[in-house]
Amino acid sequence: MVFSKRELEGYLMIDHRDSPGLTREQVGTDALGPGKLYESATFTCSHCQTVVVINPRRTRERGYCPKCDHYICDACEAKRVQSGGACRTFRQMAEEFLEAQDKGKVLLPWHDVSSR
Amino acid sequence: MARRIVSVTTQTPTATADTTNLVDATYPFLLKGGSSTQINRIHEVSISGQAASSSSPTFMVLAFDSTVATGTNTNGTGQTDAPMDSSTAALSAAAITGNSNATTKPQRAATLHLMNCSLNAFGGVYFWRANKVDECVGVYGNTANIGEVSLSAFTGGTPGACGFHMVYESL
Repeated sequence: MVFSKRELEGYLMIDHRDSPGLTREQVGTDALGPGKLYESATFTCSHCQTVVVINPRRTRERGYCPKCDHYICDACEAKRVQSGGACRTFRQMAEEFLEAQDKGKVLLPWHDVSSR
Repeated sequence: MARRIVSVTTQTPTATADTTNLVDATYPFLLKGGSSTQINRIHEVSISGQAASSSSPTFMVLAFDSTVATGTNTNGTGQTDAPMDSSTAALSAAAITGNSNATTKPQRAATLHLMNCSLNAFGGVYFWRANKVDECVGVYGNTANIGEVSLSAFTGGTPGACGFHMVYESL
């Protein structure tokens, strides 16, 4: 079965059609300005769970981890490249954490996530 | 398992810096696991501006909490947490979603922001929905830093009244 990454995309809508909206100074874009309706696809970074708004005008390659076969955010992509391609998904980390909790082990700190 | 909707009819959130106590009833809600091994997934976040008369840039942030709430947790005024399906059975350890906490107040982590939900509360609407379960934000267990998320206003702007809801699922 053919599988497209687009099937995973979430949906974001910010409606300022009847509102003063937000300024470029506040959010770094005119897309949320007065009278504007902003709709976009999103993805959730598999390495840190940040919800990323997909910029359709982006020309740079989007961060992608071939090991978990998922788009990742720019911060995690930089780490992945720097580490030589290491992949540790947020879900893996969380499940290890929960397993340790279940066994009564102390697992401190949650440095992998908080230091990103 | 079963999806639930936590909702706040109207509230004017208070802008609060990261790693600072979120004062009771000044933020819409948090979501904390009902046990140390419970997993919760967030499917949808919606914010509808209700400010009546003037521009109200409101910088809402969904983020993990670096300090999790403790003590009796209660719902604020106009807050409900209801199952999406009326036949949903109650969990023995239900997730916690109230915005008042008797002992320790939650603190938003400085490095673990998950979603920027900024809008102008004077007529603005923010809506996000995950397409599939794999894309949902997960909340794991009930301890810092991944066992609790909160939706709260970040510093800056002039937060205005909004209505909020979030769809989540306890596994």
